[in-house]
Amino acid sequence: MDDSGGRDRPYISMRGIVKIYPDGTLALRGVDLDIYRGEILGLLGENGAGKTTLMKILSGFLRPTRGLIYIDGKEVRFRDPSDAINRGIYMVHQHFSLVPSFTVLENLCLVHGRGFLTTLKGLDLDIVREKAKKLLSVLGLDVPLDIPVENLPVGVRQRAEILKALFIGANVLILDEPTSLLTPYEAKELFRFIKELAQKGAAVIFITHRIREVIEVTDRVVVLRRGLVAGEMITRSATPEKLSELMVGGEAIVRREIATSERNILAGKPILSVRGLVVLDDLGRPVVKGVDLDLFQGEILGIAGVEGNGQSELVEAITGLRSVLKGSVILNGVDITNKTPSYIYKHGLIHIPSDRDRLALALDMKIYENVLIGLQRNPAYHHNIIPRIINWDTVKKAARELIKRFSITAESLDAKARALSGGNRQRLVIARELSKGAKVVIASNPTRGLDIASTSYVRTILRELRDRGAGVLLVSSDLDEILELSDRIAVIYDGKILGILSREEAKRVDIGLMMGGVQAS
Amino acid sequence: MMIRGIVRISIYVAILSAILILLQELLGTDPKALIQTTLLAMTPLALAAAGEALNQRAGMVNIGIEGIFAISAIAGVYMAEVLGNGYLGLLFGGLVGALIGFIMAVVSIYGKADQIIMGMGLNIAAMGITPFLLRAIWGFPGLHLPPKEVLIQRLDIYGFQISIVTIAAIVIAIALHIILHKTYLGLWIKAAGEAPEALDAAGHNVNMIRMITPTIGGFLAGLGGAFMPLDFFGSITKEFTAGRGFIALACVISSNLEPMGSLGFALIFGLADALAPVIAITPGVKESVPYQFILALPYIVTLAVVAIAVKGRKLPRALGIPYSRE
Repeated sequence: MDDSGGRDRPYISMRGIVKIYPDGTLALRGVDLDIYRGEILGLLGENGAGKTTLMKILSGFLRPTRGLIYIDGKEVRFRDPSDAINRGIYMVHQHFSLVPSFTVLENLCLVHGRGFLTTLKGLDLDIVREKAKKLLSVLGLDVPLDIPVENLPVGVRQRAEILKALFIGANVLILDEPTSLLTPYEAKELFRFIKELAQKGAAVIFITHRIREVIEVTDRVVVLRRGLVAGEMITRSATPEKLSELMVGGEAIVRREIATSERNILAGKPILSVRGLVVLDDLGRPVVKGVDLDLFQGEILGIAGVEGNGQSELVEAITGLRSVLKGSVILNGVDITNKTPSYIYKHGLIHIPSDRDRLALALDMKIYENVLIGLQRNPAYHHNIIPRIINWDTVKKAARELIKRFSITAESLDAKARALSGGNRQRLVIARELSKGAKVVIASNPTRGLDIASTSYVRTILRELRDRGAGVLLVSSDLDEILELSDRIAVIYDGKILGILSREEAKRVDIGLMMGGVQAS
Repeated sequence: MMIRGIVRISIYVAILSAILILLQELLGTDPKALIQTTLLAMTPLALAAAGEALNQRAGMVNIGIEGIFAISAIAGVYMAEVLGNGYLGLLFGGLVGALIGFIMAVVSIYGKADQIIMGMGLNIAAMGITPFLLRAIWGFPGLHLPPKEVLIQRLDIYGFQISIVTIAAIVIAIALHIILHKTYLGLWIKAAGEAPEALDAAGHNVNMIRMITPTIGGFLAGLGGAFMPLDFFGSITKEFTAGRGFIALACVISSNLEPMGSLGFALIFGLADALAPVIAITPGVKESVPYQFILALPYIVTLAVVAIAVKGRKLPRALGIPYSRE
């Protein structure tokens, strides 16, 4: 390519890649991409821009609808991940491809023995262990080989995954959002390591939507937008503003609104108060280990933390979806500890769950039917004459209003909720929940997976709710979101609240440290 | 490891001997006859359960073992009579089972059909097919006695009668144990059940693994089914399976999906099966307890054992969930 100025021939070239999913989604609309040896290539884009799809095609997980892949100028076709592995291309998926109940060693065996002839062969545990140890010492990594993966911290799991990639001799390593589950310290370690890898001649492709990371670690960056390459630049000449503009296109970039909060929130009694809460996870281990929280009217209390530190169990315990082992939850003077969700909703708490497709919507039911979920006992939606029979005309009218007010793009009321895009699904959930008229809102990762426009819309609504006097508990693993919205910020680590900071005293560095388990001084 | 296994097995043998001596004292049963019947009753359960344990490890479920038992029993007897050879009948029964297992696998993998519903369907269909075939093939709706020549001859070891199929069942359970825990195939099977996406990412064919195990499981269930009329009972009746397919499933779940463990539980249920008729005719019991209640003993034992053993069992994460790359 001319613009890469005097570099070698690309190692891998993807040309005119088009991908249409079976459900008709047009994920890639003709993408050209070059990958060189020894470089760290950033693949930047919003959710749904097509980054992961493009790399799944390169790693053999998906077949392109159209388009060609060349390695060293020769055309290749990948039918399966094994074809890509044989070519030294390995993708580390966002949620990893390790068998959780296997040890790291057994996971390595999984890539060591392949093909029909190994089927009834005994496991070569000793050979694999030798090879793994040699690799680890060359790389300067530390990964315990005999502990089941599920018992390892996330950062170590990722190292195990990278070890697996190098074990099979990968020289093209694709990392999909590798930092999303890591603490800031673990991310730094990862960056140091992939820079070393690239120096040794491997190509590393780094998929992310975090501009800061692209600038920190990559050599070159390709920005995708809506299935097309929006731009490409050498990282040295890139600025965050430029990349951000490429990423979101002509649309307005959300500005951080830092409204000075003059409300005297700490006056009066808390509207939601949690005391000494202990909650077990699905395996019976305590994951919330004595949490105290007070939520006041007219504030947004953000709970920051790396995912898996007890946030989701905390939210489930407050909303009645998980039983509380010890402690109490008081909502507006009413004890709601271990009460049913419907009891809790009746007393003025609404929940915008993180997993909206599973917990908030019935995807295969119609949109207007979804509007009724949780409101089915409300007499306003019942028939005038026959009690307890739902009057669907009223429901449809309400649904139509909500769609208009929250500008939900839907074909018709009769369409299934599944037909809605992620952003519109979340708008539908929020519209419905707000129509319940609550005083406390528990919002868990409310903008995850949403595009920029819906994200800013959701955030505006949360702010409006606060301004109207509701208490909002915002649980999010997106630190930027927490910093943008919250009046106070609590950091959760290993099931405990490490500290609560007001917005004025909150510094990114301190919060980052606390998220990694380091108490800020 | 090896020594621990031997110690464990010795303990089991000691417990079993104690039970047998106790029974001899209490009921006057002949221990040898009881063991012989127990092993016969154990065999179909052990075969089917060991195969299904392997199958469920790969994330597949076949609750249609009862149906496979019935269909392959008839197929096996029919083929044995046509070819005049009981062993070929056993083999044919196994092949019919394998075919059923394979078809169910294809339908569930490529058609994304619910395996529980398919298994239920198979069981219900078999309930109708059995009497129909009995009538269609042999003209008798209730009972058919295959000629003596095609029945499997029992081995006689110093007066102790044991079926060669029983020995095969024990060998197969051990072989499946080794395959599952010592070979690459076993690693792939476990990965297919725990994290199919990881198996896929490592460059293996998840669907291939998930078609192999139901076929093996189906073959073993079919073998067990054909064993019952051709060896165990020496006859075929309308509802001869009598829920044994479900007891095999109980073995699987109780053993935590271990082929060897399944064999052990099959032995316990086999003992209950063999004991029930003996207890029912014991003087003292005969007069006070209705014999129907005693004949329900194997099922009560199953219920009790499963209720105790199932606690803390960890099933594969992807059990019954079809795999696709989104």
